[in-house]
Amino acid sequence: MRFLTLYFLFLKATATTFAGLASLPVLRDELVVHRHVITDHQLNAAVVITRSTPGPVGVYVVSVGYFADGLAGALAGWLAMATPALAVLLLMRFIGPRAEHPRVKGMLQAIVLASAGLLVASTVPLARDAVVGPLTAAIAALGLVALLRKVDALWVIAAGAGASLAASLAGVTS
Amino acid sequence: MLGAPMPPARTRPAEAPRLSDLGAVFARYGNLTFGGGSATIATLREQVLVRRAWISESQFQLAYALSRLTPGTNLLAFCAAVGWTVRRGSGALVALGAASLPCSLLAVVVTRFYELGQTSASFVAALRGALAAAVALMLNTAWGLARPHVRADLGRALVIVPGAIALVTAASLSPLQVLLIAAAAGALWPARETSA
Repeated sequence: MRFLTLYFLFLKATATTFAGLASLPVLRDELVVHRHVITDHQLNAAVVITRSTPGPVGVYVVSVGYFADGLAGALAGWLAMATPALAVLLLMRFIGPRAEHPRVKGMLQAIVLASAGLLVASTVPLARDAVVGPLTAAIAALGLVALLRKVDALWVIAAGAGASLAASLAGVTS
Repeated sequence: MLGAPMPPARTRPAEAPRLSDLGAVFARYGNLTFGGGSATIATLREQVLVRRAWISESQFQLAYALSRLTPGTNLLAFCAAVGWTVRRGSGALVALGAASLPCSLLAVVVTRFYELGQTSASFVAALRGALAAAVALMLNTAWGLARPHVRADLGRALVIVPGAIALVTAASLSPLQVLLIAAAAGALWPARETSA
């Protein structure tokens, strides 16, 4: 895929959402569903990889870019991740005094709520790929409980990997 | 604002830091913190406000609030806003690059190792568990996004969240179309105050 095409696809996702993983539904729609550039498995793996390393959650776009087109894709992902951040400079200068306007707040809050719904909708096909038996179902359920109890995502992912590896070594199917 | 008590800040110095110092701080503390954006911002606040006094408390608050309103990764918007506050355009670019390039390079390296490791049975087994955990991670992120607004206005959340799911699944609209519809609805439906 051409660098600029990939960059603008990534930018479409990152510039229209308001949190790191909130861009995932748009990316999945473009790269998995319509263009078949990456798979659900790779998209899920990108989330795992970047939650297992330090830095912002949005870095998963770089990993997705690498899956899509190697180093050029990763560069497109990094640029698309960084570009929307510059919009804060316009906000700092011009919009800041009006950010408390009820209609502006209402619009932003509705976008955040819709992003949450879209993320749930995107998780369903990813879960079909990742949750393949009782063990993985238990990892997902217990992981959610742990995260809601403020356990760091790194530990939840490490525990899931460790449990699955131990089960595999013991001959238990996932 | 970040949920944890913050230590008091020093007064702001007369001179802005050098770009190299700015870059070094954001490269070191923007890339080496686990725990998501809030944990990293708390660490950066400690460095740029409390220890080095590059910005004032009110400047920090403005940068933080506006970064939450900026599309994309809030943490990077926060870094750009602090860089702009300290050294204007060049400061924003240096802070943004320093806070995003090292962790991006690390992500590329780990992704490369992921591809190489797929032939190992142990790696595949461990990855299977990690991917299941990632499902929980995404659901938790969705809840984290919605939670402040659910608490502030449950009715609004009960319309918009399921509405977005229905529009993207049953009506087959694209996520971008759903977000635009949500934005229009939100502008017409004034929001109550949230605790976020």
